[in-house]
Amino acid sequence: MTLILMKGNEAVKLVAQNPLVWFARRILSGVVVVWAAATFAFLTQCLLPGDRAQIIINVRSGNVGPAPPAELAAVNAQYGFDQPLVVQYANYIWRILHGDLGESYQQHRPVVGIIAEQIGPTIVLAIAALLTAWAIAVLATLLIAGRDNIWSKLLSGAQIFLATVPPYWLATILLVVFAVNLRIFPVVGESTAMGLVLPTLALALELSGFFGQVVLNEFTRVLEQPFVTSARARGMSDFGVRLHHVLRHAALPGITLSGWALGKLLSGAILIEIVFARQGLGGVLVAATSSRDVPIVSGAVLISAGLFVLLSVIVDLAYRMLDPRMKLT
Amino acid sequence: MLLPTARPTRRFTGQSSHLARKMAVTLAVLSGLSQWAPSVRAQEGVAVKRGGVIRYGHFQEPACLFGGWVQQWYLQRQYSDNLVARSDDGKIAPWLAESWTISDDKKVYTFEIKPNVKFTDGTALDAQAIADNINGWLSNDPDLRNPTAAPYLSDSFESAKAIAPQRLQVTLKTPFQPLLNVFAQSSQGILSPSALKRGLAVNCENPVGSGPFIVDKWRHGREVTFRRNPDYNSAPATAKHQGPAYVDGISWKFLPDQTVRYGSLITGETDAIYDIPAIAWKDANSRFGILRHITGGTPLRLALYAARPPFDDVLVRKAFAYSTDRKAAVDTSFLGSLPFEGNGALSQSSPEYLHELGRAYTYDIRQANQLLDRAGWTERNRNGIRVKNGNSLTVRISYSNAFLKPDGEQALQVIQQQARVAGFDVRLQPTNPADFFAGRNLGPDDYEIVLLYWVAPGAEIFRISWKPDQNGEPNRFNPSRFQDSALWGVIQRAEQNFSSAERAGLYQQAERKIVDEAPVIGFTVLDVTLATSPNLKDVWLDHGSVGEPVFYDAHFDERK
Repeated sequence: MTLILMKGNEAVKLVAQNPLVWFARRILSGVVVVWAAATFAFLTQCLLPGDRAQIIINVRSGNVGPAPPAELAAVNAQYGFDQPLVVQYANYIWRILHGDLGESYQQHRPVVGIIAEQIGPTIVLAIAALLTAWAIAVLATLLIAGRDNIWSKLLSGAQIFLATVPPYWLATILLVVFAVNLRIFPVVGESTAMGLVLPTLALALELSGFFGQVVLNEFTRVLEQPFVTSARARGMSDFGVRLHHVLRHAALPGITLSGWALGKLLSGAILIEIVFARQGLGGVLVAATSSRDVPIVSGAVLISAGLFVLLSVIVDLAYRMLDPRMKLT
Repeated sequence: MLLPTARPTRRFTGQSSHLARKMAVTLAVLSGLSQWAPSVRAQEGVAVKRGGVIRYGHFQEPACLFGGWVQQWYLQRQYSDNLVARSDDGKIAPWLAESWTISDDKKVYTFEIKPNVKFTDGTALDAQAIADNINGWLSNDPDLRNPTAAPYLSDSFESAKAIAPQRLQVTLKTPFQPLLNVFAQSSQGILSPSALKRGLAVNCENPVGSGPFIVDKWRHGREVTFRRNPDYNSAPATAKHQGPAYVDGISWKFLPDQTVRYGSLITGETDAIYDIPAIAWKDANSRFGILRHITGGTPLRLALYAARPPFDDVLVRKAFAYSTDRKAAVDTSFLGSLPFEGNGALSQSSPEYLHELGRAYTYDIRQANQLLDRAGWTERNRNGIRVKNGNSLTVRISYSNAFLKPDGEQALQVIQQQARVAGFDVRLQPTNPADFFAGRNLGPDDYEIVLLYWVAPGAEIFRISWKPDQNGEPNRFNPSRFQDSALWGVIQRAEQNFSSAERAGLYQQAERKIVDEAPVIGFTVLDVTLATSPNLKDVWLDHGSVGEPVFYDAHFDERK
């Protein structure tokens, strides 16, 4: 009997360690996260103070104050606000299941289309900033870790400064110095490669400081490990040891951070896009929030939740590839 | 063709006979030609360079390319035409209507519509198309209702119909002299009725007018591109030339950050920008062409809630006005880029503006204290705040950056400190735009003062602000809740009076009464500013409307 039970437990363990089961569990938990985000977005729009029809009319007309009942009734009927909340919720979820995130109250276009046309430049900016932040952080770490000289202190101090400075402030400084005064980069970047440089730097510098500090600590710790001494003893150059042996170990906490960082970059990009007048989700979301264009905000919340789920799965997979000790649990 | 708003009614009574109507039209055309000829001739013989695309940096991006918000008017001015235009000096000039007559009882307007005009989708622009537009503005259909025209016209409008292919008849229930002023505002630009049938979703994105430019593409978050309408033949009499625009198009960029906007003009990435930042005002004046229009209608003003204590007492309202040195607050906060306006009733660019009222309620703390004593607010608590019947003299100011530039908040903080000396406990209630539009801090018990404005050509704005509540329906545009039937009577008499002098006199009578009763007190003017690069010529602001930038006459000089 005991034997049978043990076998049963092992079978459960084996099933749990099956990559497909692991993947299915991750997807299921992801769906729950997205559903919770959708429900939260729906509840938010219903429970926020202020009548939705009133806001739509006032933002459209640029007025404040109560609109006449006839106008309110027409808008309520148009958007179905006059139906019971349960019916509205059911319709909302039903539409999402069919890939329909609703229609913008102010732009009168499908939200999916609005977000689809804006999210590309935002993702490009966020990924460019992530790669740049990593490049700067790794380069700085390779140069300064384990060294005690004026340069390492200066670079480390600069990293702490960059990690704490608000990106929009940095963005304005970069803009005034490199675009308006020195005229190296365009002020209105739009979608050119040159126009991507300053917004990318404004986002990446802060994150590079953060990455740099995290990787530096781990790097310094790994430098003292026996396998590093052994590599040196085999006659490898100092830089070779750092690049081939130490960096791989030191990068692990940084990889974990990348999922979080990409999320942070996507939200940070919104502010930076406003400063640099770049096309992207930023302008649309700020306008939608200011006019309480709830379908757009809800759509952005849903898509962000989906992106986060996707990124966390990718990061988990990457982590396991870099560190074979990890099991799919 | 410059028909003074008061005169055509006596001269051309179009109801009398067909012959008289024909004469009226002929006279109107001749009169117009002679008056507008100099501006047309001024362009003759001058080789104007054609071509090029104007790169214009604007401030805010609306959610729809037409509508009631002034940011939408700016765009609509480029691609649509109005029934009539209004010149800089407030006179009504022909546009889509070549001439018009007004019946003896002032209730029937008959417009002769310019022939051979087409919308850019090929639809004929005839009397029926304009009638469809006007009837839609005043309907309850959310896709067609016009939030600017409706509050002006809903009381007086009866119908609009085409009585001949090129003859439009607008009938009113009661005379309303500012009708043509309302028709001249850009939000009343005429749109293609066949395009309107496509629904708001398509029209917001790609509206179709008959104007000098065609909306080409809206890259949301970035720009709207316009291309020249090569067949344009319906310029207003107020324009500097006729026929198609000189430039190939406009790249209307949205650059909300003022550093980027002004920086783009300095580096030559834009040819013109909107709203020069206060900090760059002096620099811009030395480098670029500067255009400025102080908008008519109301200034940005403090509306005092007059329907309950403490501001139901006119003495307390006046005391608040005297206790605050608003000019000093505005001058120090806006660095001279936005002047102070003391007349809370009417903006200084309105024709009916009374200059002496611009100096109303200058800072006088002694007077403020005396008025508060007379009003019974004689005691003070230990914080120096006045108290009456156990209630402290608290004043909550609601405002939102949707209606106030960033420097304005600093000016309010100065006012907060100034009023404290007289014993007012002023509390600021900043509110984000979404909440403000939803009515937060705007309920009947939520504020004592609110900062708002409404742009318009002139004193016809009084109807919007001061119409009393009727049939249980509150006037949503009267945030001070000041209701005075005598004042409303004067305003209505003014609206129905077709003699310019008498009407101005009546409006000024109303203006004095508003300033004297102090339900609103002045704060700053509102303005439209444009900086243009030296090689871009003949951009102008439509002073007859609310200062919309007009690129129709603009052209580059040879350097471009």
